[in-house]
Amino acid sequence: MNKINLKILIPVALLLIISAFKLTESSLFYVPKNWPEPAYDFSKNKLSAEKIELGRLLFYDPILSRDSTISCSSCHSQYTAFTHVDHDLSHGIDGKIGTRNSPVIANLAWSKLLMWDGAVNHADVQALAPISNPDEMDETIQHVIEKIQRTGIYSNKFSSAFGDSKVTGERVLKALSQFMMTIVSSNSKYDKVMRNEEGFEFTEQEQRGLVLFRKKCESCHREPLFTTHEFANNGLSVDTTLNDFGRMKVTQNPEDSLKFKIPTLRNIEFSYPYMHDGRFQKLSEVLKHYSHGIQTSPTLAPELKNGIPLTSEERIDIIAFLLTLTDKDFLFNPNYSYKKAE
Amino acid sequence: MKKSFLVIILLFSITQCFSQTDNITITFNPTLNNKQLVLDTAIYSIDENLTTITNFKFYVSNIELYWDEKLQYQESNSYHLVDINSPSSLNIILNDSKNIKFNIIRFNLGIDSITNVSGAMGGDLDPTNGMYWTWQSGYINFKLEGTNTACPTRKNKFTFHLGGYSSTDNSLQKIWLKTPNTNEIKIKINLDEFFNTIDLKQINSIMIPGKEAVKMSKIVSTLFSINE
Ligand code: HEC
Ligand code: HEC
Repeated sequence: MNKINLKILIPVALLLIISAFKLTESSLFYVPKNWPEPAYDFSKNKLSAEKIELGRLLFYDPILSRDSTISCSSCHSQYTAFTHVDHDLSHGIDGKIGTRNSPVIANLAWSKLLMWDGAVNHADVQALAPISNPDEMDETIQHVIEKIQRTGIYSNKFSSAFGDSKVTGERVLKALSQFMMTIVSSNSKYDKVMRNEEGFEFTEQEQRGLVLFRKKCESCHREPLFTTHEFANNGLSVDTTLNDFGRMKVTQNPEDSLKFKIPTLRNIEFSYPYMHDGRFQKLSEVLKHYSHGIQTSPTLAPELKNGIPLTSEERIDIIAFLLTLTDKDFLFNPNYSYKKAE
Repeated sequence: MKKSFLVIILLFSITQCFSQTDNITITFNPTLNNKQLVLDTAIYSIDENLTTITNFKFYVSNIELYWDEKLQYQESNSYHLVDINSPSSLNIILNDSKNIKFNIIRFNLGIDSITNVSGAMGGDLDPTNGMYWTWQSGYINFKLEGTNTACPTRKNKFTFHLGGYSSTDNSLQKIWLKTPNTNEIKIKINLDEFFNTIDLKQINSIMIPGKEAVKMSKIVSTLFSINE
């Protein structure tokens, strides 16, 4: 009897342990159904609850700014899909000031190049850009590291995440990266309809919008991430006060002039203002732009040569569809929200 | 039993007599006006202008030793930040490099493309060492800052941050140097050559990747030579 009991008990216990392990693994990060594999190499920065937590605390801590007034969340607020509504970033070298709109932070694990012009080549090093002022960069980031080390508040956080309390650039960056990787939006009405979840279906208007969207917008804003992660010129006129030529600044290739990263449209309802310079306040303005505001230039995307003529009904239908990309589970996910290191 | 033990010890000590008992050390020796470079100290360089170097750092990676064409030694995880401000960084000790016969040393001045796109790393590669661009990802391979009275800029300042890893503006330089088979490979960096070659009136600031950075990287790679 005893022997039999053990024979059953051991595998059952093992199974339980394995499934518990799987549960914690998948609760840190999982690839939603029907989504492609992520671009981020998790093997080089293995997720752990402690590192994610540390990243989250750092994300919300103004200690990362030179004068301890601004945190990442100042410009990336959860309730607006981690964008910022009315603040521009001074950005550039040689004292040149460019103004860009802060993009949505969601599903970054599937992105390779970051920033509107792809200037950042890996999520781990993203945080360096806002933290530092290019003219004084060597001092500033080191100073931030020293400040974190000095506060002492973080020492047990670093210990539990990395084994000892030493604060290094690599650790700060990787922890921030881990937090950002876990920010995933995949629970909008659109997603639920696509997964055939019970009780979710599109209205007729949303359905018409989806059909139009797939015809006119899908080449760039590809499902399910609503971006191909490529760069394109979508026919915005050049703002002569900014003279921002996008991707060309990085590649110095004239063929990349006026190309910007194709942004995701998930949670677009909340991520206004729109475009790299935040020039449009409303989705109706964006749709009017595609319909009859396209500026031609040598690098304009070929599919936009003649604009995307849309009647006002069609524009409203597309907007109705875009609103199904709002993901309340994401916008109010308690795992992403403000938390203070203590 | 005892005898064979003695024999082994004897054999061992004999082989030791014929080989290098220490690991190989590479020593970098930057010079200005044929004297060892001292940061923040004004000195007349060969071009007869008063020169002060305030910051001088560069990356050395993928160190290899050759006997003619044949690879004899390859340092693993070979990434070193050499910072003139930190004297210990001027000496690189090659692990497991005893008993190696070589007549050529080869290394990269800078960081390879793959490492440039692999995210945050630690140690000498930590992006907070002041050798990483923040507004556009990528390592700075070579950094030289200072003043020179011929330089027509504010306070005669010159600033060279050389880097760039993409195919079109890859500024990584492969350096090959003939060297004697010694335990201490001494590499001189002759900054006078730099001021002789470059017209600071024309070029005094490079801070972004591109054609200029590639051109300048080629020039600075020629400053390295073996000090026999
Ligand atoms: C002053 C406002 C501001 C602060 C503070 C700020 N950001 Fe940003 N962020 C921006 C802007 C603007 C952009 C777009 C810049 C560009 O494209 O050139 C951006 C882009 C990004 C992106 C790229 C998203 C993508 O898909 O390309 C990420 C990720 C990001 N920020 C994370 C952070 C983190 C982490 C911090 C804190 C360390 C931070 N930001 C602090 C304004 C800010
Ligand atoms: C040729 C590729 C392309 C096509 C086709 C395209 N877009 Fe875009 N879209 C872009 C790019 C690129 C941007 C960012 C441009 C910028 O900021 O400079 C963008 C931006 C947007 C934005 C603003 C997003 C934000 O977060 O600021 C919305 C909304 C949008 N597009 C909706 C649509 C709709 C709806 C369609 C179809 C009617 C469409 N796009 C077709 C490339 C495209």
